[in-house]
Amino acid sequence: MADLTYREALRRALDDELARDPDVFLMGEEIGRFEGSYKVTAGLWQKYGPERVRETPISEEGFVGAGIGAAMMGLRPVVEIMTINFILVAMDQIINHAAKIRYMFGGAVGVPMVIRTPGGAGAQLTAQHSQSLEAWFAGCPGMKVVAPASVADAYGMMKTAIRDDDPVLFCENLVMYNVTGTMPDDPDYTVPLGRAAVVREGRDLTLVAHSYTVQRALRVADTMSRDGIEIEVVDLRSLRPLDAETVAESVRKTSRALIAEEGWSTYGVGAELAARIHRLCFDDLDAPVERVGGAEVPMPYSKPLELAALPLESKIEAAARGLLAESGIA
Amino acid sequence: MSEELVMPRLSDTMEEGTIGRWLVHEGDAFAAGDVLAEIETDKATMEFQAYDAGTVLRILVGDGETVALGAPIAIVGAEGETADEAASAGNGATIQPPQEEAAAEPEPEPKAAAAEPEPKAAPARKPSKSSSKAKAAAGNGSRATAALRVSPIARRMADEAGIDLAAMAGRGSGPEGRVVKADVERLISSGELTRPAAADAPPATESAPAEGEIRELTPMLKAVATRMTQSKQTVPHFYVESEIDMTRAMQLRAELNSGLADSGDKISVNDLIVRASALALIQHPQAHRSYVDGKHVYHTHANVGIAVALDDGLIVPVLNEADTKPVREISRETRDLAGRARAGKLKQREIEGATFSVSNLGMFDVANFEAIINPPESAIIAVGATVDRPVVVDGEIVVRKIMRVTLSCDHRACSGADGAKLLLTIKQLLQSPSLLLV
Repeated sequence: MADLTYREALRRALDDELARDPDVFLMGEEIGRFEGSYKVTAGLWQKYGPERVRETPISEEGFVGAGIGAAMMGLRPVVEIMTINFILVAMDQIINHAAKIRYMFGGAVGVPMVIRTPGGAGAQLTAQHSQSLEAWFAGCPGMKVVAPASVADAYGMMKTAIRDDDPVLFCENLVMYNVTGTMPDDPDYTVPLGRAAVVREGRDLTLVAHSYTVQRALRVADTMSRDGIEIEVVDLRSLRPLDAETVAESVRKTSRALIAEEGWSTYGVGAELAARIHRLCFDDLDAPVERVGGAEVPMPYSKPLELAALPLESKIEAAARGLLAESGIA
Repeated sequence: MSEELVMPRLSDTMEEGTIGRWLVHEGDAFAAGDVLAEIETDKATMEFQAYDAGTVLRILVGDGETVALGAPIAIVGAEGETADEAASAGNGATIQPPQEEAAAEPEPEPKAAAAEPEPKAAPARKPSKSSSKAKAAAGNGSRATAALRVSPIARRMADEAGIDLAAMAGRGSGPEGRVVKADVERLISSGELTRPAAADAPPATESAPAEGEIRELTPMLKAVATRMTQSKQTVPHFYVESEIDMTRAMQLRAELNSGLADSGDKISVNDLIVRASALALIQHPQAHRSYVDGKHVYHTHANVGIAVALDDGLIVPVLNEADTKPVREISRETRDLAGRARAGKLKQREIEGATFSVSNLGMFDVANFEAIINPPESAIIAVGATVDRPVVVDGEIVVRKIMRVTLSCDHRACSGADGAKLLLTIKQLLQSPSLLLV
C-alpha cells in the first residue's frame, strides 16, 4: 500500500494500460511534450513516443471524432478533453456518434474509447470554466459515465474504462488531482463500472455524492458524528450505469436520503436519484428526498460569490440537519 | 362559505343511500367528528361524520328518503348564513365516512376552491379537540388543521405494530405535525396507543349503564340485529350435530407448534377447523351454495368467515379461498384479521364475501351451541370446547379429547343429508388430521 495523489493514480493507470495493450493510445491537447495542462500524462510521451501519446490541435470535435474512428477500427483511444467545459464543441461526436454507433450498426462495431476530462469549480475560473456537466452525458443511452472520488477508484476505474468496449466519459476533478490516498499494491487491481460504494456507514441519513463532493460529504459526516448523528455516505462512482440499488439498500436502513452534487440540481444527478429512491424505497422514507447542488447561476468570479454558489460542507450539513429535523431528530 | 353535503360512498357497491335519520336539525351547530346522520347503504347502517365544524343550514333529504350517490343531502355553512348563499357556492366532499379504510388510501386533495374556509367563520367552526376519530377522518387527505400526516415508513411501522395513529393527528415531530419514524418508535417502546380502536366507541358505552338507561345501538350492533333477525325470520335453519375426536388433531397441533416455536407462528384448534371446513366444502358443492332469489349460487372457493367477539358485539372477517391455503397461512391471516377486527381496522372488503362461517365459543367452556346463519351463506359451524371424555373405542373405554360441533344449514340451499355429509367430512378430516396438511 502506497500513498499517491489522484493525479498520479490516473497516470499509473494510463501507463499500465499503455504497457499492457499496444492498441491503447492517448490523444489530446498538450498532453505530450507539455505533459498535459494538469500533468496527468507527465512522462508518458517520453516513455511511449508521439505515436501513442499524440498531440492534437485545439479541435475537440476533430480529435474526438478521430478517436471514434480509431476505436471503430479496433484501437482503444484515451482522449483527453482539457476540461469538461471544452467538451461542448464535441457534443455531436459524443452523443450522435460514439453513443449510438453500436446500436446503429446492429452491434457489428463498437466504440471502445475513453474520454477523460476534469470538471469542477472553486478556483475562480468563472462561468465558462467551472462547470459539472456530467449529468448531461449520463442521460444519454449508449454512454457510460463515471466519476471516481478516491485514489484507488481513479486507478481501478480508469483501467476498467479503457478495457470496456463502449464509450466511457471519465470525469476527473480539478480539486481532486492533489488529493492523496492509498493505492492498492495489486497491479491487477480494477474497479467495476456501475457499482456504487458505501464509503462510510451510518444509521441516520444516507448522503449520496459523486466525484469531489464525496470528500465534502465525508467531512460533513465527520462533523455531524460529533453530535452523535451517523451519516452513511454512498459514493456513486458511476453515473451511468447508475447503481440505484446500493443507494436504495442504504436508504432502507436510514429512511432518509440527501443527494449532493456540484452540478445544478435541476435535471441533475439528484433529480434522477430522487425519482429512483421514491420508487424503490417509498415505504421506507421518513422524510422527502432532499438535494443540494450548485446555485442555479453561471458561476460568479468573485470569491465570496463563488463560495456562495458552491455546495460547500455548510450547505450539505444544513440540508442534512433539516431532513433530520423533519424526522424529529436533532 | 356554505357547502353542499352529498351522499357519500360508504360501501364499494352502493349506488344510492338512504338517510336512516338525521341526528342534527336545521340551525344546529356541529363540531368536527359529530355524527350528522345515519345512512343506510346496501351493506349496513353507517355513521355520517362531519370533519369540519359548521351549522346545518338546510336539510335536503329527509329521514327514510333515498338518493343517488353524490346527490346533495344538506347545506351547511357558518352560523347566520342562509342556505340560498350556498346554492352558488356548492361543492362537495366535506364529509368522511367513519371507516378507517380511507386512511390507507388517501383521497385526492380537494380542489382549491373548496379548500379555504371563510376566514371570518363563526365560532362553531372551530375544530373540535375532543374527537380523535374526527382527526383520523380529517387526516384522509383533507384540509382540516389537525390532519393526520404520516411519513411512509412511520405508516408502515404503525401498521405492522398495530398502532392506530388517529390520535397522533397534528402531534408528530415532523413538519405540520407529520408523524415520523421516531414518533412511532417512541409509541412502540412506550406501549401508548396500541390499544385497539374500541377506545373510539361512542362515549355512552364507556360508563357502566344505569338501571333502565336507554342507549342507541352502534351501527355495528344495529347491523348484527338486523341481519340476525332477517336470518332467523327468513332462513329455514336445520341443525346437525356431531362429536369429533380431537385427540390426534391436538397432537398434530402440538407437534406443529413445537416445530414452529421459533417462527412466531402458532396454529390454533380453530385454524384446523377452518382448514377442515374449507376442504370439506369443496367436496360438497350441494352444501356450499347460496339460495338467492329462488336460485342456487355455487361457490368454487371456500371463503370462511371467522366470528370475532368484540367488547360489545362481534364482527366476522373473511379468510378468502381458505381451501387453497396451508394451515400456517390460515393461521397467520386469521391472527391478522382478528387483531385488526378488535382494533376496528378491518376494511369493508374484508368483511364481505364469506361462503361459510365458523363460530367458536370453545374458549368459554361451552359444551355446545347453535349459531345463526349469516345470509347468503348456506351454513355456519358452531364449535364448543374440547374436553377429556370417556368414550368407547374398539370395545374399550378410553379417555379422548372430544369436541362438540353443530352445523346450522339453510334448508333452501341444502338438504339434511347434504349438511350431514359436510359435517361428516369435516369430522373425518379432523380425526385424520394429517389430511389437513396435504
